[in-house]
Amino acid sequence: MAESDDLARIITGCKNGDSRCFSKVVDMYASRCYGYFYRLTGDNDISDELLSELFVKLVEKIGSYKGVSFESWLFKIATNIFHDHLRSKQRRKKLLDVLKKQLESEITEHKQSDDEQSDKLQIRLKTLDTDTRELIMLRFYSQLSFKEIAEIRSEPIGTTLAKMHRGIKKLRQVMEG
Amino acid sequence: MNDLNEKSLNELFEKFFDDEQAKSFAEDIQKAEQILRGHPAPEPDDMLIANIKAEIAMRLPAERARHFRRMVYKLISIAAAIVILATISVQFLVEDGKKPREVSYASLIPAAIWDSDDITADDENLAIFTAEIEEIEGEVLNLESGEDTGNGNRTITELEMELIEINSDFWKG
Repeated sequence: MAESDDLARIITGCKNGDSRCFSKVVDMYASRCYGYFYRLTGDNDISDELLSELFVKLVEKIGSYKGVSFESWLFKIATNIFHDHLRSKQRRKKLLDVLKKQLESEITEHKQSDDEQSDKLQIRLKTLDTDTRELIMLRFYSQLSFKEIAEIRSEPIGTTLAKMHRGIKKLRQVMEG
Repeated sequence: MNDLNEKSLNELFEKFFDDEQAKSFAEDIQKAEQILRGHPAPEPDDMLIANIKAEIAMRLPAERARHFRRMVYKLISIAAAIVILATISVQFLVEDGKKPREVSYASLIPAAIWDSDDITADDENLAIFTAEIEEIEGEVLNLESGEDTGNGNRTITELEMELIEINSDFWKG
């Protein structure tokens, strides 16, 4: 209760344009949001960019926050930022010619494999489709209830649970198998 | 988070799955969370966090100015709406307060006779006017039928003058 009161005070401060309150929000949520972006992109640089974008958006949009669950609101923005990233990635892909694409993928594969050797989970996560990966990461890093996750994803809770069930089964298989 | 605990999760799953599926799902969730906790994602760099905070501090004055402008525009539009509504309301009130418009009629009967209470005198006047009009009417008919022996033009002029005089007397009462 005291924690939620503190958070409410911090958010009020943010709404009044207090930079110290924004710094507190960054300290409170940067780690979880970074983990969410990293597990979805598998790339430190992109995660850095997305995290910066998230907090810039927070400054712009804090006035429209209406006092629902702050985590839910923040992760909704994070989800939208990730979707925008996917769309721009898709656009970039279309613009590149085949040779460039091949060269780029060779470089990124090489770079990522260095990072990922120490992170078995990140390699295995690639076997899951983006939507399932996003759902599992949203649940784990946002720590929201399934009801809130279903609301963020604009789908019935039954659909969210069914997807989660399938995704988690697959994650267990690839990690334990 | 209220549904993280096993009991509430089981209750939720039981609404959507049969007992066995719900049990297996709850177990999978716990196991997946253990896996994720066992493989923590890298932490954001301290330099990145410092840059984000600096960027926020830099953006805040601009954001405040934007917020202020938005407020001013909002206030202006609200004030404009109030002025328009007030103008319309005042117009309606003024319309309601006004006396009903009087209908003006063209008076066919001279005001002196109309307002007079002396019915007998009025009747006499009317009788005189009627007699004079009848007389003139007779003279006009004579002229038209050529019975007049004198100067026709002069007679007509005289009649016209007489008519004007009578008319003027009549309206004066």
